[in-house]
Amino acid sequence: MRDLIVLFQKEWRENTRNFKILWIPLVFIFFGLSEPLTSYYLPQILNAVGNIPEEAMFAFPEFTPSQVLMATMGQYQFIGMLVLILGFMGTISRERKNGTGTLLYVRPISYVSYFLSKWKVVGIIALASVWLGLLTSWYYTGQLFGSIPATDFLAFAGTYSVWILFVVTIVLAMSAWLPTGGAASLSLVLVLFVQIVDSLLGTYWTISPWKVSTYATQWLTGSPDTSDFWWSIGVTILAIVALVVFGVSMSKRNASKTKV
Amino acid sequence: MSALLEANQLTKIYGKEYAVNQLNFVLEEGTATALIGPNGAGKTTTLSMLAGLLKPTQGSISLNGEQRADVRESIGFLPQYPQFFSWLTALEFTEMAAKLSGMETRSAKLEAQKTLEFVGLGEALRKKTGTFSGGMKQRLGLAQAIVHRPKLLLLDEPVSALDPVGRREIMNLLKSLQQNMTILYSTHILNDAEEMTDQLLFLRKGRLVEKGSIGDVRAKYDHPRYRVEFGSAEDAKTFSLAAPWHVAVEGTIGFIDIIQDMPVMSDMLKLLGESGLDIRKAERQTASLEEIFMKVAGQA
Repeated sequence: MRDLIVLFQKEWRENTRNFKILWIPLVFIFFGLSEPLTSYYLPQILNAVGNIPEEAMFAFPEFTPSQVLMATMGQYQFIGMLVLILGFMGTISRERKNGTGTLLYVRPISYVSYFLSKWKVVGIIALASVWLGLLTSWYYTGQLFGSIPATDFLAFAGTYSVWILFVVTIVLAMSAWLPTGGAASLSLVLVLFVQIVDSLLGTYWTISPWKVSTYATQWLTGSPDTSDFWWSIGVTILAIVALVVFGVSMSKRNASKTKV
Repeated sequence: MSALLEANQLTKIYGKEYAVNQLNFVLEEGTATALIGPNGAGKTTTLSMLAGLLKPTQGSISLNGEQRADVRESIGFLPQYPQFFSWLTALEFTEMAAKLSGMETRSAKLEAQKTLEFVGLGEALRKKTGTFSGGMKQRLGLAQAIVHRPKLLLLDEPVSALDPVGRREIMNLLKSLQQNMTILYSTHILNDAEEMTDQLLFLRKGRLVEKGSIGDVRAKYDHPRYRVEFGSAEDAKTFSLAAPWHVAVEGTIGFIDIIQDMPVMSDMLKLLGESGLDIRKAERQTASLEEIFMKVAGQA
């Protein structure tokens, strides 16, 4: 397990020195900020720009605080996911491709440590980014639209965190399995495309990792169906564990593909 | 001396292609072995298998007589083009390498520093590896391969990409390491092989076509010969017909190789003297490793 600490340190240095630890949180904070602000000031903005007929000004809907927070999550569900996928798609595959992995693989490291060191660092960055962004959004929503109880917010953000971990694990497992391009494509399919399919056809089932984000938003307006909610969380955690196991074994199997 | 590593029927097949075909060899403890062969002979594949990066399709590798050991604990490996994490400094990288090979945190740092100074990177300890030149990378690659004091050092073309000065320096470093480590290195530069070798392994199209000490291989392939240069092709031809030994004439300028049934030098000189031909030069030759290489590499 000592190699886990050493490799974790290496990953941490990498993400510090390539500034991922800075720009990824900034993207999430930006949307956490811009969503409440633009929703609030949209009428004024449009008014200032002009060309809006007087009567249309009354057609703007009034947002509830929870709608604004959901809209923030809606941004994360698309742009945030893109950032996570594109930012971390090469985490493992790139080390094989450019040969930097070779000098790691010839040492007596365990591939469990190898995969988990990356999973932990990427997980920390992703979760910290999402929480910082959501907290920002929560604060400004509270200032501009009305407050959301802290317990509702924590249940919402906590549930959403499970989904984020699921996404991050998908990206890393794909990166362990495929070259960078393939890892990105398949991650995009698994995260964005399957989500659309799940929401279109998903009325037939209620338990799915792709429904976790929907259940997260339900904490803001009431509470999700307890049984469906916990089953989905359970299934998602199982899927994360399975993906980690898959990622570890793929890292090991593909180590021989590293450039020598 | 005892066997440190033994390769038994080592084979790697890609699809239907035999990259490495039934290699058998032994690396004795404390020796240096050169793996020689033309490009594509399977040198890198062989080293990758020994380093534990590639799984042999067939055959086995045993270390200290143990077959299923994790060889990675006992080896240091320098790939032909070592790639480093550009955002780490030389010291950070070497220290990480030492720790991942099982060294204690404190001694890892100390050894990393000492090793980097040993390979001549004492000035660049805190420089990012991304800024390193080719020669510096090769030194750093050597440092990370030896920092944990491995029993077996595997080097893939350690000096091929270097300029003559760098090559000289790295060869000297390797020679000083030879006292404490068993070394296996691949090369296609034969002068280097000639300089530091207890055993030669000749690879050709994945097969081990020749092995032995440099003396053995020489004795086998080097048929010493006389080379006599005449003033004209005419004279050469005359001599080849008159001489009691088999003489091969090469070209019209009058080069002659006496290949078989080595006569005594004095006999030959006597005959040359009596012939009254125009003789420019007469010498006894031994084949360079290069010529042996061409012979071994070219054999059908």
